[in-house]
Amino acid sequence: MITFSNVNKWFGDLHVLRDINLSVGAGEVMVVCGPSGSGKSTLIRCINRLEQIEEGDLIVDGMNVHDRKVNMTQLRAEIGFIFQQFNLYPHMTALENVILAPTKVRKMKKDEADKLGRETLKRVGLGDKVDSYPAQLSGGQQQRVAIARGLCMRPKIMLFDEPTSALDPEMINEVLEVMVNLAKEGMTMIVVTHEMGFAREVAERILFMDEGQIVEIAPPEEFFTKPKSERTKLFLSKILTH
Amino acid sequence: MWGFYFEQLIDSLPIFLKGLWITASVSGLSLIAGSIIGFFWGIIRGGKGRILRRLIGAWVDLIRGTPFLVQIFVIFFIFPEAGINLEAFPAAVIALTNLAACFICEIVAGGIQAVPSGQKEAATASGLSAYQRLRYVILPQSMRTILPPLVGQYVLTIKDSSIVSVIGVIDVTRAGWLTVQRIPEGVLVFGLVGILYFVICYPLIQLSSNLEKRMTVVATRL
Ligand SMILES: Nc1ncnc2c1ncn2[C@@H]1O[C@H](COP(=O)(O)OP(=O)(O)OP(=O)(O)O)[C@@H](O)[C@H]1O
Ligand SMILES: [Mg+2]
Repeated sequence: MITFSNVNKWFGDLHVLRDINLSVGAGEVMVVCGPSGSGKSTLIRCINRLEQIEEGDLIVDGMNVHDRKVNMTQLRAEIGFIFQQFNLYPHMTALENVILAPTKVRKMKKDEADKLGRETLKRVGLGDKVDSYPAQLSGGQQQRVAIARGLCMRPKIMLFDEPTSALDPEMINEVLEVMVNLAKEGMTMIVVTHEMGFAREVAERILFMDEGQIVEIAPPEEFFTKPKSERTKLFLSKILTH
Repeated sequence: MWGFYFEQLIDSLPIFLKGLWITASVSGLSLIAGSIIGFFWGIIRGGKGRILRRLIGAWVDLIRGTPFLVQIFVIFFIFPEAGINLEAFPAAVIALTNLAACFICEIVAGGIQAVPSGQKEAATASGLSAYQRLRYVILPQSMRTILPPLVGQYVLTIKDSSIVSVIGVIDVTRAGWLTVQRIPEGVLVFGLVGILYFVICYPLIQLSSNLEKRMTVVATRL
């Protein structure tokens, strides 16, 4: 579904992605972790071309992301992206937020989109919040609206960039629950997170990144019990004691 | 004494009314055209294209950094040397349109840049085109920042329009000049001129401060 081949990226002099080779299959759930500034966000932002790559190939759902001829609208319509800060549109209700792209990008009819939007909001447990504005919702609710907004496009892939880092602790679980269900329904997901409980429960593989490199990729069991690299061990000892 | 002049002033009423009409049309036309052009420039300037952004920026700086009087002289007295002859009225409208457009451009660009980049990213990530992002996500949010200073700018533009009297456009100010030559009572005549401008501008000043209040209320609700 997603294949990185020798991908390199720089921000000016800063080499943020170094020789990334990675393949994520359809239906796979992969968790990405690593220290701050290691390039996790950049890695997943390249997938829907929020960032450009300078070298290598990145194929997503058969489309070469780096190719100028690729239809960006079509590519992005297939990929849901969830931000740490939710980024809901503040001037629109929850329902308006989730049906904007379906009506404008997918050209879905208004009443059809409306129905889909309500169903999707119900699916994330917010059936009673369709007419609320983002500012009237808690952080956890806002993030669930954001997930619904992604799902309304019926994407093949969902990318999450630290979806629970901006939340109060008591709201983390309601968001993770939605994500767990999504994973179990077979969505292809890449999730940047330090929620190791979530990783253990649903991830097929965990990727550890440091200084723009993939240091280690392993299934959760192996990743937690016998990490190969010293850097992974050090990182795990830091986050697991929290 | 003032009673006598007052009668004469009544005689000058037609020229004042005509002047009022001219002031209104010069300002009105310039504001409409200036808003359209200003939004267009502002959207480009608030966006990503490097070259166009610089070009517009340089032009805006030039216009904002030179007196309007000089700009009008250039259009009215120097353009003819290049073979472009303009009547006073169109010259005035062009100069004022350009001036308004430059200020509005900065207001609009500022409003667009004030929208958090996360909003633009979310819209981009969902597949919306550049036009759709602007139309549905960015402009509706930036209108809150744009509207109050925009209306304020309208007031300034209407007042700046008095300068077009120097090239012979018979607006309210010019009507004042013509009248004061017959009635040597400057306070009375220009008092009237001032009142006429105030009558046009006051509703806009009210609108601007109302908008400002309403926008802060909306902002706290959002
Ligand atoms: N637009 C940008 N321009 C320049 N440098 C950037 C830009 N975005 C990120 N960087 C730098 O690239 C490096 C990787 O950033 P990235 O956001 O991918 O890290 P991260 O692993 O997601 O970190 P965090 O855990 O803090 O979110 C950092 O050093 C960051 O400062
Ligand atoms: Mg990050």
